[in-house]
Amino acid sequence: MATAAVKEEPIEEVDFETRFIMLCQASPEGITDNVIQKELPQCDTKQRMTIVNRLLSMGKIDLLKSGSKLLYRLKDPDSASQVKGGDNQEKLVYQIIKDAGNKGIWIRDIRFKCNLLLTQVNKILKNLETKKLIKAVKSVAASKKKVYMLYNLEPDRSVTGGAWYSDQDFESEFVEVLNQQCFKYLEQRAAAAREAKSDPIAQRNASFTPLEDVWKYISELGISKVQLSKEDIETILNTLIYDGKVERSLVAGQATASGDGYVKLYRSVQPLIPTTGLMRMPCGACPVFDQCYEGGAVSPTTCVYMKEWLEI
Amino acid sequence: MTRRQHDVCRFLLFQQFGEQVSVVGKYLLQKSPSPLHLISSETHLDTEQVKKILCILIQQNIVTFGQHKRGFIEYSIRTGEILNRLWFPKYIYCAKTLYGDAAELLLEDVLQRGQVQMSKVIEVVMQRFNEALETSGKQKISESFVVDKFSNLVRTHFLQRCLDPIKSDSNKVVGLEVSEEEETLYRLPDLSRKRKKSHDDGPPAKRSKSEVEGERPADDEGDGIFWRVNNERFHQMFRDQAIVQAISSKIDRSAGEVLRAMLRVSEVKTAGMATVTTPISVTEIFNALPKDLMARPLLETYLSLICDDSTNFLSKVGDSGGGMYSINIYEALAQLVKAHIESVVQERFGSKCLRIFRVLLLKKHLEQKQIEDFVMISAKEAKDLLYTLFSENFITTTEISKTPDHAPSRTFFLFTVNIQHVASMVLNRCYKALYNAMVKKETEVNEHRRLLDKQERMEAIAASVEDASQRDEILNTITPSEQEQIIKVRRTIQMLDHSELQICEGIFILEMYLMYFKQRQKDKS
Repeated sequence: MATAAVKEEPIEEVDFETRFIMLCQASPEGITDNVIQKELPQCDTKQRMTIVNRLLSMGKIDLLKSGSKLLYRLKDPDSASQVKGGDNQEKLVYQIIKDAGNKGIWIRDIRFKCNLLLTQVNKILKNLETKKLIKAVKSVAASKKKVYMLYNLEPDRSVTGGAWYSDQDFESEFVEVLNQQCFKYLEQRAAAAREAKSDPIAQRNASFTPLEDVWKYISELGISKVQLSKEDIETILNTLIYDGKVERSLVAGQATASGDGYVKLYRSVQPLIPTTGLMRMPCGACPVFDQCYEGGAVSPTTCVYMKEWLEI
Repeated sequence: MTRRQHDVCRFLLFQQFGEQVSVVGKYLLQKSPSPLHLISSETHLDTEQVKKILCILIQQNIVTFGQHKRGFIEYSIRTGEILNRLWFPKYIYCAKTLYGDAAELLLEDVLQRGQVQMSKVIEVVMQRFNEALETSGKQKISESFVVDKFSNLVRTHFLQRCLDPIKSDSNKVVGLEVSEEEETLYRLPDLSRKRKKSHDDGPPAKRSKSEVEGERPADDEGDGIFWRVNNERFHQMFRDQAIVQAISSKIDRSAGEVLRAMLRVSEVKTAGMATVTTPISVTEIFNALPKDLMARPLLETYLSLICDDSTNFLSKVGDSGGGMYSINIYEALAQLVKAHIESVVQERFGSKCLRIFRVLLLKKHLEQKQIEDFVMISAKEAKDLLYTLFSENFITTTEISKTPDHAPSRTFFLFTVNIQHVASMVLNRCYKALYNAMVKKETEVNEHRRLLDKQERMEAIAASVEDASQRDEILNTITPSEQEQIIKVRRTIQMLDHSELQICEGIFILEMYLMYFKQRQKDKS
């Protein structure tokens, strides 16, 4: 009798387990304690606990908290197999990194979230890296900072810097070249407008180029290996505005798919004045200007720069 | 008055009046106002000498006097007047372009003498003009022609009357009468009574100081009113010219013409230091334009074009009379000053620094990280350039702390440009550069004085000698190497002269801007 009773229990338990797993499969977001109680009324709390613990240790289910209730969710079989070799801490760290998505997470933040010691976290990270589950990406903002993210994910733009950075190096020449090309294009448009039209208002309007045209021109030139977006071209044109060579105006236009109700127009402009008088003589750019006085070591009468300038 | 301006003033006094005048000038620059005996004791000069020197300076409008509470006369120097002497060539050129050669000679004479009577100056000009005309075989001009030019200059306020002296009971001059109405300064005398010594046209001619009696030669023929140059009016003219030139280079020449017409109309309507001219209607502008320059609709298009331009020189203030427009003088000056400062930054630090500077000008306050993002320069380089600008005081920081304990790691550091501060810094530098150029020119001339004198003498002799062969002989006394040197020296002097003029233009704009800025501050408070 006793043996029969004993034999029954394990069978029941295994049954409960499969039914538990089936329940989990049925609801992918997870099931609460209440649901299990309803479906498996024969299973009491202690048995439920053993089942849950066993499944957790086998790595088949996840334990989540939603508000004040506990949820049990079936884990992906792939990911379950991936961390099969690791222990709980590793799984925890891996979970944290996965949650960070494609922005990556900094080592200090990992430590805060899992409350582990620094040495432990380092060891775990090294393990995960060798297993090729995570990778470290250097952030462009702070070159010493490393963020960790899942191996197969593409790092986000804010980390790598987008089109202007290649391997953490700012591409100055690339930006310069684009700068000059855009400016030349706008100048050509302005010159064509000046010759073609006689009416000043028409001239001004014709020399205005919308952002679209500039973007198309640059894309067709093919000087860039990577496809540049309109925002990128806009930043380049902004630098031309800051150089004082180009001005921008907004006019009301068709509301396009991107949602803007106005169009940005750009036009090359002439400067207001030619170079100022002060800078046309050596004193303007002189490095020892403040030490120059009559009778001193540096003085106007003995000035070397002046002598050179007057010889030309 | 800054140290640099004092240097320039002293140099000008020395160059134009001589050693002793510059000594008195220097003393007054440091310690004006002071009475006569103090000046004479501090500068170790004879009282008589000092009197003569003060006489000269008052005649040239540089020194002015007033009665102290205790009863003695104090003399003070006006640095503004000394610095105005830098622009005398420009004044003369202005008069020439506006009214012709006769006006040029008139103005030259008035500037040279400081204060002069109308009859005397007309006489001198007539003489010079007719001499030149006789030698070139043309007809002589009549006196009324020159008088006409003079009246033109007065009517457009380029010349003004000198202030009349106020006499105390003991018949000593104690001060200058300042009239309340501006119009009295420009009242032309009644010309039909020129020959008689009439007292209807004002008290007797202004004399210099109290202790001197009749030291001056009796210039008192005819009207007895003295005239001098009205500096403010010329400055207004230069300011207008600068604005017109800026607009011409930005848009095109016709836009410049439109603006010039507007400024001419607003000359009579607007107060001297107003930041915005009074509104002018399109009809008035159209009438003020030279005939056949442009049709009415084209004028209106140009006006709207200038209004929409990013430089913001013009704004439409109403619709009556076909549209009312007014020129933003303060705004225009600010734009010009910014252009000058940007040019300084570009030439001194490079184009990348210029980009950073302009970003800050446009966006007012930015953090270092934001600047690096906008400017598209690698972060290390941008940081370097930014701190260079900061160390040279072109930009400043404002600190905004997040926490009450102002910890540096928890504070925002915003970079910004303070235009007024940078403008005065650049102005100071301009004055020093001007001083350097003047000193250098002086040394060059002194070094090669012998050569230059020789050449002048040779040329004078050669001009008077009739025989061609003798002339060649004389000219050949100057050896080729000396000739080369002379050419080089002349070129050097010309270059330095040029740079002086160009710096003066920059100084003018900066000074104007700072003046208007102070005026605005005063108006606001």
